[in-house]
Amino acid sequence: MSIDINFLGILIGAIMASSVPLILAASGELITERSGVLNLGVEGMMIIGAISGFALMVITDNLFIAIIGSMLSGLLLSFIFGFLTQSLLTNHVASGLALTIFGIGLSAMIGRDFVGIPGKEFPLLFVNLKEAIPLLGPIFFGHSIIFYFAFLLPFGTNYFLKKTKIGLIVRAVGDSPMSAANQGINVLLVRYCCILYGGAMCGLGGAYLSLIYTPQWIENMTAGRGWIALALVVFATWSPLKVLFGAIIFGGITILQLHMQAMGIRIPVQFLSALPYIMTIVVLVIISRDSRKIKLNTPTSLGQIFYKEK
Amino acid sequence: MNTKLKVSKVSKIYPGCIANDNVSLEFESGKIYALLGENGAGKSTLVKILSGVINPDEGQIFLNDKLLKLTSPKDAKNNNIGMVFQHFNLFETLSVFENLSIDSGENNDELRILVNNILKKYNFKIDLDVPILNLSAGQKQKVEIVRCLIRNPKVLIMDEPTSVLTEQETEDLFLSLKKFSKEGILIIYITHKLKEVLSLCDEVAVMRKGKVVSISKTLEENLSSLANKMIGESLNKIKKMSSNNLSEEQILRVSRLNFNSEDPYEVNLVDINFTLSKGECLGIAGISGNGQNELFQILSGETLSNNGSIMFRSKEISKLNPKERREYLMAFSPEDRISQAAVPSLKIYENVALNNFKTSNFFERGLFNERKIKDHSKKILSNFSVNTDNVNLRSQFLSGGNLQKLILGRELITSPELLICFNPTWGLDVGAINYIHQTLVKINEQGKSIILISTDNDELLQLSDRISVINKGKLSKIMSAEEVNPEKLGLLMGGGLVD
Repeated sequence: MSIDINFLGILIGAIMASSVPLILAASGELITERSGVLNLGVEGMMIIGAISGFALMVITDNLFIAIIGSMLSGLLLSFIFGFLTQSLLTNHVASGLALTIFGIGLSAMIGRDFVGIPGKEFPLLFVNLKEAIPLLGPIFFGHSIIFYFAFLLPFGTNYFLKKTKIGLIVRAVGDSPMSAANQGINVLLVRYCCILYGGAMCGLGGAYLSLIYTPQWIENMTAGRGWIALALVVFATWSPLKVLFGAIIFGGITILQLHMQAMGIRIPVQFLSALPYIMTIVVLVIISRDSRKIKLNTPTSLGQIFYKEK
Repeated sequence: MNTKLKVSKVSKIYPGCIANDNVSLEFESGKIYALLGENGAGKSTLVKILSGVINPDEGQIFLNDKLLKLTSPKDAKNNNIGMVFQHFNLFETLSVFENLSIDSGENNDELRILVNNILKKYNFKIDLDVPILNLSAGQKQKVEIVRCLIRNPKVLIMDEPTSVLTEQETEDLFLSLKKFSKEGILIIYITHKLKEVLSLCDEVAVMRKGKVVSISKTLEENLSSLANKMIGESLNKIKKMSSNNLSEEQILRVSRLNFNSEDPYEVNLVDINFTLSKGECLGIAGISGNGQNELFQILSGETLSNNGSIMFRSKEISKLNPKERREYLMAFSPEDRISQAAVPSLKIYENVALNNFKTSNFFERGLFNERKIKDHSKKILSNFSVNTDNVNLRSQFLSGGNLQKLILGRELITSPELLICFNPTWGLDVGAINYIHQTLVKINEQGKSIILISTDNDELLQLSDRISVINKGKLSKIMSAEEVNPEKLGLLMGGGLVD
């Protein structure tokens, strides 16, 4: 029995670890979208974060620099997006799609020299507690610092949006940039900050993949997680805590269906692989049915180009 | 303390249009000033300059003889100039309190006390913790006003504040404004409604084509003197020939029309019966929300009705869609110009092409015949005095009056037998209203019939041959225009007089 409990703990711990990149990227994108900007470049920013983190780790042999560098690279990419959409007033959707394609291509080019290089061991916290406490130990302990950061982030994001003045201003800009501008709020500055923050979080999410989760560089290693993060934000109706919940469900079903495949259960593999995507969306749609809440949480100006009268 | 606001030689030029041409005005606290003008006269540009939203090309603004630099809305606020915009500057999904707290310096507890005091003082009843989207237009406006009052304004500018208010809300607003004025706030009231100027304001400045054309005391003015100043020419009084001898020829017959809606927000129609003769204008009065929407949709074919309920020239049309009805030479002008009658982001000629008849040949083998549509559109623009001849202009850049002229023109240029219009002059200025009314009288004289569904009683009494009142989905007895007066209409609209 004790073996089972331990296995369960490890399983849950693995599920939580696998949802970290989604939580990071989706929380960042959530702030961007709450300011009224739809950045479809999440996948591109994640993959750039993954390769730059990994490349910096190999070059400098310093994980701290690697992590900071991955965030800066995501931020840089999102700055391109911000400049296009906010200063040059290009379409959000087209610019975001272009960003993803650009990110994937650029990461493959940079990554050519880094394929096959083994990663470095990332320091894990509370390793001794992991073994000392049954069940809860492997769930809560022995993870990287990024893991703990990711699980605190949705709560912090929620607090930021609901309780702080700046959070209020972000929501106001997302609701009606024109009204915000007429109230003397610097809409461009707010939106730029939200875009850059989103980019940095996507970069960090990518770096988690290449430095911690599967420490190596594989071309296209984000494998659509950026798109899932985007879907999470929408289906969680822009609520940070629901994003967290959705990310765990996605991670959970991903891991479980792998185990089911390994056990040789007679369900077509294609169906099992599709299961996380389907179930996450179904569950989020069900828990977010309150149309009043949807209306209140949806950034009214999402994806609209804003320009100021002169 | 006395407040003086001085606008000195302000000009603002947009490509192709002088919005403000050397405007100079002086205001002093203790009085309510009206800034009167038609849509497009430059009033809104001036108030945007005063509130720092846009910057003038030339000229200065002085507050108590101090030169103001208003380069952003923040500057206006910091100089205690408060502004309530025509289109509310509120955040719909945020709560009332969040809206108020967004640019205030106080912490939340202090602000709540301050706001509650203001609400109590002026007897405003607003729940601070509901989102704005749950409020009525009048309540939203009060939130805007409270937002200004928090900052102890010296100047309060109201931009066409009554365009979205009910009559009761308008009265409440006027009372509040008079109170503010007594307390020493300088009030500038922007409007194109003449009656409001006379009943509320002490002095009136009239703007026309970007210039101030007259400044006078309201006591020295009356409705027609103000109207003449505002549009720069005397209005032709519309006179409808009273036609007791209506044509025998029946155009439309509605009988035993019933409509039960599944949508709880719609009104059910109960046993509607009327006939319409050739050349007649039938007015349908009523307080909005008593079934006018549903009736219009059924007459236009957006909603289908029970079999045999609508006969057009003794042909059954109850099951035809709007396009098929148009082929029978019916024409429709819905209430909401922006979302129902036209697509604002489309160009003028594209909007014209939407109304495509078999005979018009706008499309050949599925392709746009652009030249033909554009020629047709140009004809509409010139025949119906729309103030542009550029058919490539996006419709959203037309003022309400010009958009309505375009829509009516689009409907009328095919010489329909029957025009059904719903609040055709809602929100328009005097000049445009006058033009639309003239047009409606003219088509009646040409032997075309009109059903005029309107919430404007003056308009109905002026234009209709016969009038009926709709109340809770039922039509009253149909009366000839002579036997109706405003009081009787009012009673019927309230459901008071049933016979």
